Amino acid sequence: MNETKPQVALAVRNLNFYYGQNHALHDISIDFPARKVTAMIGPSGCGKSTLLRIFNRMYDLYPGQRATGEVIFDGRNILETGLDLNILRARIGMVFQKPTPFPMSIYDNIAFGVRLHERLNKADMDVRVQDVLTRVALWNEVRDRLNAPAAGLSGGQQQRLCIARSIATRPEVLLLDEPTSALDPISTARIEELLDELKEEFTIAIVTHNMQQAARCADQVAFFYMGRLIEVDAADRIFTNPKQQQTQDYITGRFG
Amino acid sequence: MTLAPARQPEKVSVSEHTEKRSNADTAFQAVVGGCSLLVLIVLGGLVVLMGVGGQDAFKTFGLGFAFRDVWNPVSNEYGAWAPLFGTIISTLIGVLIATPLAFGTAFWLTAIAPPKISAIVGTAVQLLAAVPSIIFGMWGFFTIVPFMARHVQPFMMHHFRHVPGINMLIHGAPFGTGLMTAGLVLAMMIAPFMTAVMRDVFSAMPGMLRESAYGLGATRWDVMWKVVVPWSRSGMIGAIVLGMGRALGETMAVTFVIGNVTAVGWSLFAPRSTVASLIALQFPESPAGSLRLSSLLALGFILMLLSFASLSLARMLRGDSK
Amino acid sequence: MSNMTTLSPGWAPNPCGARRRRKDRVATILGMIAAGILVLVLTSILWTLLARGIVGLSAGALFKPMGPPGSGGGLANAILGSVIQTAMALAMATPLGLGCGIYLSEYGSKQNRFASCVRFVSDVLMSVPSILVGLFVYQVLVAPFGHFSAFAGSVALAILAVPIIVRTTEDMLRLVPVSMREAGAALGATRWRVTLFLCLRSAKTGVLTGILLALARVSGETAPLLFTSLGNQNWSFSLNHPMASLPVTIYQYAGASYDDWVQLAWAGALLVTLGVLAINIAVRFSARRG
Repeated sequence: MNETKPQVALAVRNLNFYYGQNHALHDISIDFPARKVTAMIGPSGCGKSTLLRIFNRMYDLYPGQRATGEVIFDGRNILETGLDLNILRARIGMVFQKPTPFPMSIYDNIAFGVRLHERLNKADMDVRVQDVLTRVALWNEVRDRLNAPAAGLSGGQQQRLCIARSIATRPEVLLLDEPTSALDPISTARIEELLDELKEEFTIAIVTHNMQQAARCADQVAFFYMGRLIEVDAADRIFTNPKQQQTQDYITGRFG
Repeated sequence: MTLAPARQPEKVSVSEHTEKRSNADTAFQAVVGGCSLLVLIVLGGLVVLMGVGGQDAFKTFGLGFAFRDVWNPVSNEYGAWAPLFGTIISTLIGVLIATPLAFGTAFWLTAIAPPKISAIVGTAVQLLAAVPSIIFGMWGFFTIVPFMARHVQPFMMHHFRHVPGINMLIHGAPFGTGLMTAGLVLAMMIAPFMTAVMRDVFSAMPGMLRESAYGLGATRWDVMWKVVVPWSRSGMIGAIVLGMGRALGETMAVTFVIGNVTAVGWSLFAPRSTVASLIALQFPESPAGSLRLSSLLALGFILMLLSFASLSLARMLRGDSK
Repeated sequence: MSNMTTLSPGWAPNPCGARRRRKDRVATILGMIAAGILVLVLTSILWTLLARGIVGLSAGALFKPMGPPGSGGGLANAILGSVIQTAMALAMATPLGLGCGIYLSEYGSKQNRFASCVRFVSDVLMSVPSILVGLFVYQVLVAPFGHFSAFAGSVALAILAVPIIVRTTEDMLRLVPVSMREAGAALGATRWRVTLFLCLRSAKTGVLTGILLALARVSGETAPLLFTSLGNQNWSFSLNHPMASLPVTIYQYAGASYDDWVQLAWAGALLVTLGVLAINIAVRFSARRG
């Protein structure tokens, strides 16, 4: 897009993470350029999902899990205590492996997150709901049944609804934790198209098992192995010309 | 040629063996099926015998038996309304107090308390649920009843004596026994049970769903009230109804603290009786074949129907959620 | 498309959030109070029992039979009566409950009307008021014979124990993976052998838990014994005669106006509660290990 030096949305410095006694992430340092897609790849248990869950402090829900180091977002280290987690999570949205529609109508699924942070009148809320549903290309499919339970949608539709729900709170960063792992190929393709449009506005960090997906969607790819960041580079370079042997082995399918 | 006859007997023996095996299987199925039949018969017998035993009462007083407001062994006139009223009101009070207690505790245990404390308090709550009901009765009799008589009732009388509506609910001598005390003891008895069920229902919610709500920036209460509660609504109502079923039929806890007077009235602080407490108290003094015994059995039949109805309701709600 | 990120309020706290946080704090405090009340009730019950019960818990209370007020009687015959009746009840309920549970899990598919009926009935029995079970047994086993009996009491307790055993047995057997059944069948084992020697054995801990839970439930029951085994002032070992039991004795003594009886009632209450809670704690431990 713009050829000037990309602005950094999330800057990770010397990050370590522990599940109780288990040292899960070792000394990670990586930048997430603004309005780009960064894909995190690596075998199961390599720490890529763990890293993602640090960015919105999801680990705070579980005692015994802790992080040290720095993650700079909008001028603040988000790991510091006293940070307003509700605001952080409004600014950094997350989408999960499986669609997680709330047990309420399609409309209320979107409105739920918005109402947490803003007081909108009905008309403004309607506009917001239509806007985000349009952006995830769901509006035409659900416009007639906004009040129907979200659980009635197909898996792919549910996942797009969850993305819409996340962007409805107007975050700056979107975290996607293997968002297509529970979907069929067609739904997967639609979500990947969607990522391309969303990155014009959001910084996207996506964890994926699927190397083709990383190659198709990402601007930057980070390879993790055993809790360490092995290599991070532009997508075209890392797949064609990796610098590290381990990365080479992984992308050619020798392990993982 | 030489092989064929040699094989013949072996084949036969194998098939015989299978035959024997399938016989054993059939017998096994018959035995365990028989056990099931026996369980079925016991409940059938329970319902039928209660109805048959109460026949005399229903014949003498008609179906209006349920709503007759007399229970007079001297004039030999009986009606179910006084104990039935007591049962319904004390159960209602119990459920009204127990529901917020159970909900609050389950919320705190599943969403707020640190795991270690949650485990300890959770165990305490489960132990409370296991305390035999007669212990609740004694505890109520020796601690709650005096407390009600000395503090709650005088306080209420002092402040609300002249408030129309409320004065009706509180008049009566400060014995400390009555519907309010019974309801309170019932609440303490069923709340831990309801808490355990609600906790199971809440923690059955997929973690990812919980996390996505937190991921949008919701507080713990937001997540509880707007996501967990709608998700587990039928299970929660099921828990409440199951608790209600327990309160309806509770005998020992209530007998100690209700005062045991067969009267109807709106005061929550006057001695009353419930179906179960009346049966427990009067059954031993009712001669076989008497109208009084039959009336007690008829009461039992009505209680059976109530408990049956509440269980069916709970099951229906649980079925909905699946 | 407008650039929405510029609209973001940054780290500034928003008024909506402040209100929600207040609500969250209030809810948290209320929840803690609710949990506190329940813990307080348990503490109060245990404290009352200990404070009043430990005084009466002498060697005399444990080893002497009941007696008239002021005669220095104890609870020994009631304790023994409870043990006998509870043991009898479990001896009857365990095979019946196991059989019924096995039937429901192994043969009771969703389409089997008889099984769904039994399942429903077992559920009903689980929540039926225990005093009604007493009335029922009175009509079947007491009235026709003209006298109360320990046997009738045991049957009443057994009826209360059966549905608990049925439920846990069925649930635990259903947890046994299909692959284990298939592995057994692939070895040529008959169905009943697979059920008894593979499934039941691997579900052993869970099934045992169910039996223990039934024991805990039944050993504190009073109402069903009032009209069946009635109670007895003296030693009694005959199943054909009225027999004392701890809960019924507590019930009779607690309301009495003799101090020594009331004290014995508290001692008995303490014994029953400690016994029931001990079983429950044992269950929790076995469940955790299993």
